[in-house]
Amino acid sequence: MDEKEIVSKVCKCVATALGRDEDEVQVEKRLQSDLEAESIDYLDITFQLEKAFGISIDKDELFPQKIFQDEELVRNGVVTEKGLRFLEEKLPYADLGEFKKDPRVTRVPDLFTVGLLVNYVKTKLAAS
Amino acid sequence: MRYVLVDRFLELEAGRRAKSVKCVTTGEGFLGRDDEYPATLVLETILQTGGTVARLVAAPGTRTMLGKVERARFPSSARPGDQILCEVHAILSRPEGTMCRGVATVDGRVVGEAEFMIIYLPEALTPKESPAAREQRRLLWQSLGIPWDGQ
Repeated sequence: MDEKEIVSKVCKCVATALGRDEDEVQVEKRLQSDLEAESIDYLDITFQLEKAFGISIDKDELFPQKIFQDEELVRNGVVTEKGLRFLEEKLPYADLGEFKKDPRVTRVPDLFTVGLLVNYVKTKLAAS
Repeated sequence: MRYVLVDRFLELEAGRRAKSVKCVTTGEGFLGRDDEYPATLVLETILQTGGTVARLVAAPGTRTMLGKVERARFPSSARPGDQILCEVHAILSRPEGTMCRGVATVDGRVVGEAEFMIIYLPEALTPKESPAAREQRRLLWQSLGIPWDGQ
């Protein structure tokens, strides 16, 4: 499956899960801030990706919740060094460059873009 | 289910599918214009049927809740005297939840259909069920034809 096809299918998955028109979904769009995804939608996106690509996604693999719950990972609303390492480990396909300059935990949801999902799927398909 | 909008389960496969019926009567108390049975209550019958399908495979220590409803449509209405036949299939399932598709018909005519997600939450995050409420639920499940799982 080439990149264009992966992008197209991921966009379709996101559009289906969020009830959006496909032309509203582009790789640079942030799931929460731009496409108004709510917490329950992340589970739906996981469902759609598993179905579309025939992959198996472990709980918390794609959308790790621990970052929001562990005091060692976040202190005073800011992701700690340990938290950044956690994100790097859990989200190797995410671009953390800009985030590291201002690692407020409220900015974590902005890491989750359609492009991140594309990178994630590419990683999964390559490993299978 | 505080308001039970399923009269009986005709078929029930835990985690897979179910078929239930709901008979509409003049005593519903919520009939609209031209005695139309509200579409929202048709939807609730679909959701309760699917919720039971998912509930029966919930991991110990979890409870089911409705996550979201999508692509719901109600092309025609039910009225008193109609028997709503509701068929729900689980189409995708994960430890966090189950996605279902349900269709409600009256004599083959679609009165409602929807896709919806039932999610599994830890018991600690849901209201605690008193022993009396639990016994009430057990009796209800018995009358509806739902196997009692003891949870």
